[in-house]
Amino acid sequence: MRTIPSDEVTVVLHVNGRARQLQLDSRVTLLDALRDHLDLVGTKKGCDQGACGACTVLLDGKRVLSCLRLAAQCDGREVMTIEGLARDGRLHPLQEAFIRHDGFQCGYCTPGQIMSAVALLEEGRATSDEEIREFMSGNLCRCGAYPNIAAAIREVAALRRK
Amino acid sequence: MRALSAPTVLGEPIDRVDGPLKVTGAAPYPSDIAYPDLVHAVLVQSTIGAGTMTAIHAEAAEAASGVLAVITYQNAPALAPAPMTGLGPSLPLPFRDNRVFHHGQHVAIVVAQTQEQAVAAARLLEIDYVQEAAVLGLDNPRAEVLHNPWQADLRRGDPAAALASAEVVVDETYTIAAETNNPLGLFATVASWEGDRLTVHDSTQWPVMERQTLATVFDIPESAVRVLSPYLGGGFGAGLRVYPHVILTALAARVVGRPVKLVLARPQMFTSVGHRPETQQRMKLGALQDGRLVAIDHGCTSALGIEGTNFGRVTVVTPPSYDCPNVATHDHQVRLNIPNPGYMRGPGKTEGNFALESALDELSYKLRIDPIELRLRNFAHVHPQSGLPWSSNALQECYRVGAERFGWSKRSPEIGSMREGHWLIGYGMAGVTFELYQPPCEVRVSIHRDGSAYVRSAATDIGTGTYTIAAQLAAELLGLEVGQVHVEIGDSDLPTAPQSGGSGLATSLGGAIVDAAGNLLRAFLKTVADDDRSPLQGMTAEGVAVTNGRIAAIEDSSVGETYFDILERHKLDELSAGGEYNPSAGAPGIAGPAAFAARFAEVHIDPELGLLRIARFVTVVDGGRILNAKTARSQIIGATVMGIGMTLLEETVIDSATGRIANATFGDYLIPVNADVPVLDVVFVGKPDELSPVGSKGLGEIGTVGVSAAIANAVYHATGRRIRTLPITIDKLL
Amino acid sequence: MPGFEYVQAEDVPGAVAIVSRDPGASFLAGGTTLLDLMLKDGVIAPGRVVDIGRLPLRGITRRDDFLLVGTLTTMEELAAYPTVAERAPFVRDALLAGASTQLRNMATIGGNLLQRTRCRYFRDLAVAACNKRTPGSGCAAVTGPARMHAILGASEHCIALHASDLCVPLVALDAVVYIQGVGGQRTVPLTDFYVLPSDRPEVENVLEHGELVTQVEIPLLPAGARSGYLKVRDRASYEFALTSAAAALMIEEGTIAMARLALGGVGTIPWRAREAEAILEGKPANDQTFRAAADAAIRDAFTVPGTAFKVELAKRTIARVLQTVAGLRS
Repeated sequence: MRTIPSDEVTVVLHVNGRARQLQLDSRVTLLDALRDHLDLVGTKKGCDQGACGACTVLLDGKRVLSCLRLAAQCDGREVMTIEGLARDGRLHPLQEAFIRHDGFQCGYCTPGQIMSAVALLEEGRATSDEEIREFMSGNLCRCGAYPNIAAAIREVAALRRK
Repeated sequence: MRALSAPTVLGEPIDRVDGPLKVTGAAPYPSDIAYPDLVHAVLVQSTIGAGTMTAIHAEAAEAASGVLAVITYQNAPALAPAPMTGLGPSLPLPFRDNRVFHHGQHVAIVVAQTQEQAVAAARLLEIDYVQEAAVLGLDNPRAEVLHNPWQADLRRGDPAAALASAEVVVDETYTIAAETNNPLGLFATVASWEGDRLTVHDSTQWPVMERQTLATVFDIPESAVRVLSPYLGGGFGAGLRVYPHVILTALAARVVGRPVKLVLARPQMFTSVGHRPETQQRMKLGALQDGRLVAIDHGCTSALGIEGTNFGRVTVVTPPSYDCPNVATHDHQVRLNIPNPGYMRGPGKTEGNFALESALDELSYKLRIDPIELRLRNFAHVHPQSGLPWSSNALQECYRVGAERFGWSKRSPEIGSMREGHWLIGYGMAGVTFELYQPPCEVRVSIHRDGSAYVRSAATDIGTGTYTIAAQLAAELLGLEVGQVHVEIGDSDLPTAPQSGGSGLATSLGGAIVDAAGNLLRAFLKTVADDDRSPLQGMTAEGVAVTNGRIAAIEDSSVGETYFDILERHKLDELSAGGEYNPSAGAPGIAGPAAFAARFAEVHIDPELGLLRIARFVTVVDGGRILNAKTARSQIIGATVMGIGMTLLEETVIDSATGRIANATFGDYLIPVNADVPVLDVVFVGKPDELSPVGSKGLGEIGTVGVSAAIANAVYHATGRRIRTLPITIDKLL
Repeated sequence: MPGFEYVQAEDVPGAVAIVSRDPGASFLAGGTTLLDLMLKDGVIAPGRVVDIGRLPLRGITRRDDFLLVGTLTTMEELAAYPTVAERAPFVRDALLAGASTQLRNMATIGGNLLQRTRCRYFRDLAVAACNKRTPGSGCAAVTGPARMHAILGASEHCIALHASDLCVPLVALDAVVYIQGVGGQRTVPLTDFYVLPSDRPEVENVLEHGELVTQVEIPLLPAGARSGYLKVRDRASYEFALTSAAAALMIEEGTIAMARLALGGVGTIPWRAREAEAILEGKPANDQTFRAAADAAIRDAFTVPGTAFKVELAKRTIARVLQTVAGLRS
C-alpha cells in the first residue's frame, strides 16, 4: 500500500505528449491542475459539476470531464487538451470545420465541444445527424450554435469516410 | 472612401476573425487571467430570504490554512455611492449593513492563497440570522407594487370603449417563469491595484460603464481605472450591469494588497448577475368579424428585488406592432425578496411578444381567419403610434417568404388534424416588431506603414461577431483586405463605446467606423495636400476612391497612390483618425428604426407522454443591411435556441417559502442541448435602413422574440391545448 | 471541503481494510458522484479517500446465462459489450440514456449502483432540513418545490429519488451484487440491496462501512424474450428521468409467459414492480392488460404538488413500454 502522506500528492501527468510533474493539494481536480498549475487555460470551467461539458479532455484517448476527476487519479496517464490538438501549427480538421461552419459564438464551450467531437469521430458515432446531436448532447452551448456544431462534425465525418 | 452602395466585403459570410483563437483555446477570457502573486476569492451567500445577520463567526475561517482575509459588512472599507449609468441607477452596493434582502445575497468574501483553500474556509464561516417572512410571489398582498414605474404607460384612442363595442374579444392571462441567463462562461473578475490605479479583467458587456462605476465607488478618477473584457463567455445581458461581486473583488484586492481572482460558481450565477423576472400579463384584444383590431389593452406585472431598479418594459411591444386605433399599456413591478432581476436577451419584448402573438392566434381561431392573414389585415403601414412612415419595414415580405419556405399552405387549419404515427403535428407562427435604439459610439481607425490597419473601440464581442464585422466594414471602407485589419476592443482605455446590448452596438460602432474611415481618408489627403510628388495633391475625399490599399481619383483610376507610398514618403509610421456616431441627430419625420421578423414552428407532440419536440423552425428577418451573412445567421439561430429553452424547459424555481432558488445547477435548470434543436432555417429580407450610415438594424435579440408564441400556437394547432404558461413542460401536456 | 489524505489502493483486501477501520474514509472510483458531493456541494467530507481506480476489478466475463461485471467497468464499456445488446438490450438502452459519453467513460457500474440522490435539498448546504444528510432534521423537499423527486417508497421523511437508469433494468433482471468486506465475500440480490428510506433516509443500502462492491452479476434474458427501456424527460437528452420503465416480456401465442417490469424516476430506490408482473403473466398481451399492470405498479404513491403529475405519467410510461416491447407500437 503506497500512501502519500498528509493532504498533498505528487502527480505526473502526460499532457499533450509532455510529462509534467506536479506537487498538488489533494483536492485539485484535473481541470484546475491544467488551468492553474500548468497554464493550460484552454480547457474551460462552465459548471464544475459534470453538467456542461466545457471541461472535456481526452484521458487515455477517451473523452472525460476534467472537473470531476482528481489530478491524483490521473497520475501517469495521458491527457490531451485543446492546446494539443493542432499539429505543427496546422489546425485539426474539426477546428477548421468549426470556424468554417461558425460552430461557436462566444467560444467558451468550444474547446470542450471540439474535444468531444474528436472523440465522437473515434467512437464512430457521427454516422447521422441524429446520432451526432445525441452524442454531442453532453456539451452545452448557451450561444445556441448547435446546428453549426453538428454541421461541422458532419462534414469532417463525411471526409473521413471517403 | 468607398460607398456602401455596392459592397464587396461587407455582408459576405466570411469566417469569424477571432475563430482561430477560439478553436485553439487561446482566446483569453477573464477567468484565464493570471498574475504571479494572484490569490483567490470565494463568496459566501445568505441562507435566508429576508432578515438580518446578528452575528458573524469568522474566527475559524480566518484561521484556516492559506486565508488572507474574510471581509464582511463589519470590516469592509466604506464605498462611495454608486453612480447613475446609461441604463439607470446602479445596483445597491454590497456590504452596507446587516440586512438580508434575498436568499443568496453576498454576505462575505473570503480570500486565500489557493482556490481550494478559499472554498474550504468559506464553508467554515458561520452566520447567525434573525429570519423574517420573505415576501414572495407576484400576487403577494404584502408586496410593494410600483405602478407605471418608468412613466411610460401609453394610451391612444379609447381602448375601454372600443373593447366594449368590439365584435370579438380575447381576454387572457399569460405567465412566464423567471429565467436565468446562464452564459457558459462563469462570470469572473480579476482585480489588481497599483497604488490608486485599478485594473479589472471582467465578464462585462460594457467596459466604459464599469469603469465609471468602479471609479465612483472607490472614489478615484476614471482615468485610474482600466476595465478589460476582450473575450467573455457569453452574457445575454448578464454583463450589462456592475453586479456586487465585481465591486467586492476589487475591494478584496485592495484589502489584501494583491491581485484577486473571483470566479462565480454555477449556482451563484443564478443569484448574482440578474435574471429575466417572472411576468404575468393580461392581454385584451378587441376585433371586428373581418379581423380588424379595434382595441388592445396590455398589462404586465413583473418581479423586482426589494431594493433597486430594473428597466424592463414588457408592454412596449404592443403599440408599434399593429394598426389598431385604440391601445393602452400598463406596466407594474412587484418588490419581492428575490435576487435583483436584470436583462436577459430581448428583455421585456420577448415576454410581451408571447402574450400579444398568442392572443392574436387565439383571435384567429375565434374568427376562423388564417393567422398570417389576420396579421396582414392589421399590418401597420405607418408607425401606428406616431403616424410617421417607417424608415424601412419588410414585415409583409417576412410573412410571405416565411410561409413559402415553411410550407404554410400545407397546414390543415383544423385542430389535431395533422398526424404522423402517434405524433400529433402542429404548425404555428408569430410576427415580430422590434423597435431599436442606437446609442452613441466612438472609434479610432489607423493605417500603418507595414500595411496593417487598426480599429479600436471600447466595445465588446460577446459572441455576436463584433470583431468580424468591424474588420469587414473597415476593410470595405478603406479598400483593404479583411486580414489587414486588426480589431482591438474590450478595453475601457479605448474610445468610448456603448454596451453589447439592446441590439445597438453593430449599428452604432458601424456608424462610428464610417465616420472615422472618412476622417482617415481626409487625413491622408491632407498629408499630401502640399505634396508636389503626390498625384493626389489637392484632391478631396469626394473625388477619390480606395481599392487594394490605394487612393485613386474617381475620374481616372490611374491617378493615385497607396497608403504605404504616402506614409513612406512622409516618414510616418501611421495615420489615424477618430470617428463618432451620434444618433440623436436622427432624421425628423421618420419612424424607426425597427427590425421585423416572422417565425414559423412545426411541433410534434406525443399526447400520451406529453412529449413536445420541435421538428423545424423557420425565421425570416428584416434586419436592414446584413453585415456578415454567416455571423448574422448565427445570431438568429442562437437566439432561437434560447427561445426554445424559454418555451420548453427553462424555469428558475424560487421557493415561495424561503426565496431559495431550488434548481440552481445545470443539472436541474435545463437549457437546450444539441438533441433538442432541429435544423433552423433563417432568411434575411429587406434593405439597408436609411436611419444609420451602415443601414443595419440590430440582430442580437430579435431572434429570441416570437419563438415562444410560434411554438405555443403550434401546440394549440396540434392538440387544442392553449398553453399560456411557460415553460411548456411535460406535465402541462398530459 | 477540508483537505483529505489521498490513498491509492493496491489490492482489494487492503482497500477494504483501510476504509473499514476509518469511519472518515471513503472509496473513490469514477468520482462522478463522490467528488461532486465532496468538492463542489461540500455535503460530505471524508478525511481519507481511497482510490480503487487501479484495482483489477474492471472487465466483463460471459457465463452461460449471465455476465459478471467488474465494479470498475465503465458505463460505456458495459454498453459496448456485444452480449448486452444481444441478450439484455434494455440494459444498453438505459446506459446510453443515463449520461453523456464523457460521464459514461468515467462512471463505473459499482458507482452507478451507489450513486447518491440528485435531490437539491440534500445537495445544498443552505438547506438545513434534510433527514438524509442530517438525520432528524426534517425534509425540506416535502414542503418546497419538488419535481425531480420520488413518489414510490417516499414519505414525509424523504422523497429523494434514486436517479439511476441502469439500475432499473438491473432490478428487473434480478442482478446480484458481490460484496467484499473484512470478513469475506457475500452476495446480495440487487432487489434486496437498497433500503427504503422509511424514517431513516440516511441508510440507503445494506453495505456496512468499508464493504466494497466488487462485481455485479447481470442475468441475461432467456432466448425469445424482448425488452425495452423508455425514459421520459423534458429535454431530449442529458437529463434525469421524470419517469422511466424497463420491461422484458416473453409472449407465447399472444399470452404473456414471462414479465419483468421496473421503474425509474419515481422511486426512492430502483423500483421493481412485482404486482404488475403478477398481473401481466398469463394474460393476453393487449392494452387492457398493460393498463391494468400500470395501475397496479403505481399504487400507494406519496406525492407533493410538484410530483403529482408523475402518477399518471408513470402509468402511461409503463403502458407504452409494454406496448412497444410487445410489438403493438413503434
